[in-house]
Amino acid sequence: MLALVAMNALWAGPACAGLGGDAAGVAADGAELHGALSSTSLPEYEIDEITTDTGMRVREYLGRDGVVFAVSWSGPVLPDLQRLLGTHYVEYTTALATLTRPGLHRSVRIASSELVVESGGHLRAYAGRAYLPTRVPAGIATADLR
Amino acid sequence: MHPIAHIGALLTAAVLSACIGGKGTTASAPPPPTLNTLTLTVDSGPTAATGQINHGYVTVKVCAPGSQTQCANVDHVLLDTGSVGLRLVRSVLAAGGVTLNAQTDSQGLAIEECVSFGGGQTWGPVALADVTLAGESAAKLPIQILDDTGAGAAPPAACGANGTLLNGVSGFGANGLLGLGVFTQDCGSACVNASTPLPLYYGCTAAGICTAENAALAVQVANPVAMFAADNTGVIINLPKLQNANGDASVQGELIFGIETQTDNALPTTGLTVLGTDANGDFTATFNGSATVLPALMDSGTDSYAFDTTDPAIPVCTMGNLIFSGGYYCPPVAPLSVYAINAGVGVNNASNRVDFAIADPSATFVTTASAFIDLAGGPGSTNFTWGMPFFYGRKIYVGIDQRMAGAYTGPYYAY
Repeated sequence: MLALVAMNALWAGPACAGLGGDAAGVAADGAELHGALSSTSLPEYEIDEITTDTGMRVREYLGRDGVVFAVSWSGPVLPDLQRLLGTHYVEYTTALATLTRPGLHRSVRIASSELVVESGGHLRAYAGRAYLPTRVPAGIATADLR
Repeated sequence: MHPIAHIGALLTAAVLSACIGGKGTTASAPPPPTLNTLTLTVDSGPTAATGQINHGYVTVKVCAPGSQTQCANVDHVLLDTGSVGLRLVRSVLAAGGVTLNAQTDSQGLAIEECVSFGGGQTWGPVALADVTLAGESAAKLPIQILDDTGAGAAPPAACGANGTLLNGVSGFGANGLLGLGVFTQDCGSACVNASTPLPLYYGCTAAGICTAENAALAVQVANPVAMFAADNTGVIINLPKLQNANGDASVQGELIFGIETQTDNALPTTGLTVLGTDANGDFTATFNGSATVLPALMDSGTDSYAFDTTDPAIPVCTMGNLIFSGGYYCPPVAPLSVYAINAGVGVNNASNRVDFAIADPSATFVTTASAFIDLAGGPGSTNFTWGMPFFYGRKIYVGIDQRMAGAYTGPYYAY
């Protein structure tokens, strides 16, 4: 019954999804992807992993302050980055639009003091991640956010 | 009598054969080999988007299915061994007088596709075309029309959300892509029976409402070489060494169809490294002694060696006109000598170390040139991509999934 209430709450309003979002947003992302959600708790943060039977995997890194400070993805197609980057999506597309030679490169990297996005791969195998440098818990290497 | 009769017989035979085939060959001689070689040119790109670097182009003949007249020779189609399928810009086809209609699904919806490439996505309908490459042809081949004119349905919100739409000539710096990777279809089985269809193929209503749907293998955008009647085991890319360390104005080589099907595409008996790939089309590579095993591919569609690196940490170029979305590396002391070790997956599990150098393109590259060796980039990349610099001066073999060539069965890359 409790679970049902929680689901209703998720569907009721625009959950704060993806990067910069919250725990409710993670659950909404899982529903959107039709995926199974599992959690791993570490001292500094929690990893919420969404997997689908089509081979998509999305991880959301939820800090102890309740904010998703990183997301990563892999799978046969790119996930919907508009959803996954949340409120930071506009910053990503704005940065993309300023780049010259946007064409056929298998990867793209956008980096500022506020946002890092790395996205790459090819048909059948895409992977990438995005994180908020100022919100990564102290002592955590960004290389671990995969 | 005898000599004269002999000459007469010869003349008669010559006249007869001239009437039949025009080649003067006897009935027992083998048929002439199919022309299986296409010119591959690295230059600055199509007139609508010049200034390209390390882009290898071919000319593709496309006809409306069954038509002998509604045909166009589309030049500056980018050869891409890192993807599968032919994708042509709609406005370029229209200028050539070719109109191709979208395929429809079982419910009559137009089939359209959204494919992600690095910083952007392509969108447009799947259509059938008769495609000719040199002397080889694939009839009723499913290709993607890159819908730069918006004649079809508008892309759904999720397409284009991952970057800019790359539908026009400027998107890839090409009039289209010729994807000749290791598979027969672009998506494969993952798009056939998914309980939640992947957001790749879409069915679009006449009103332009598009919904992701599954697509049977026969419907999917396909590798034209896999559909050839012969010479369909894979391709060989044969580009010469570059002449100048700081860039060549242009380079010409060849794209050869088939592996081990004709005398001009035989596998060498010694010295060949065959790297089998996994179901994603990747072998593995480790860079410069790192313990991290990366998925790797040989990708003529990437203009540089592309990989992420922290050891050594190589700064990205911050000046010069060679700055692009992925970022090129500008080592403080150039050329920087590095290496990577390739390893095949599965039965074709060769291992091979490749030493290469990274130049500082901002310092020395001739900006008007179009072919560059020793160019590296790709910070943030999760793959190790052997882009165009690796292709210069090597024969690269791309073996198609489940096709046997000599002792090797695809999917594999070899050199």
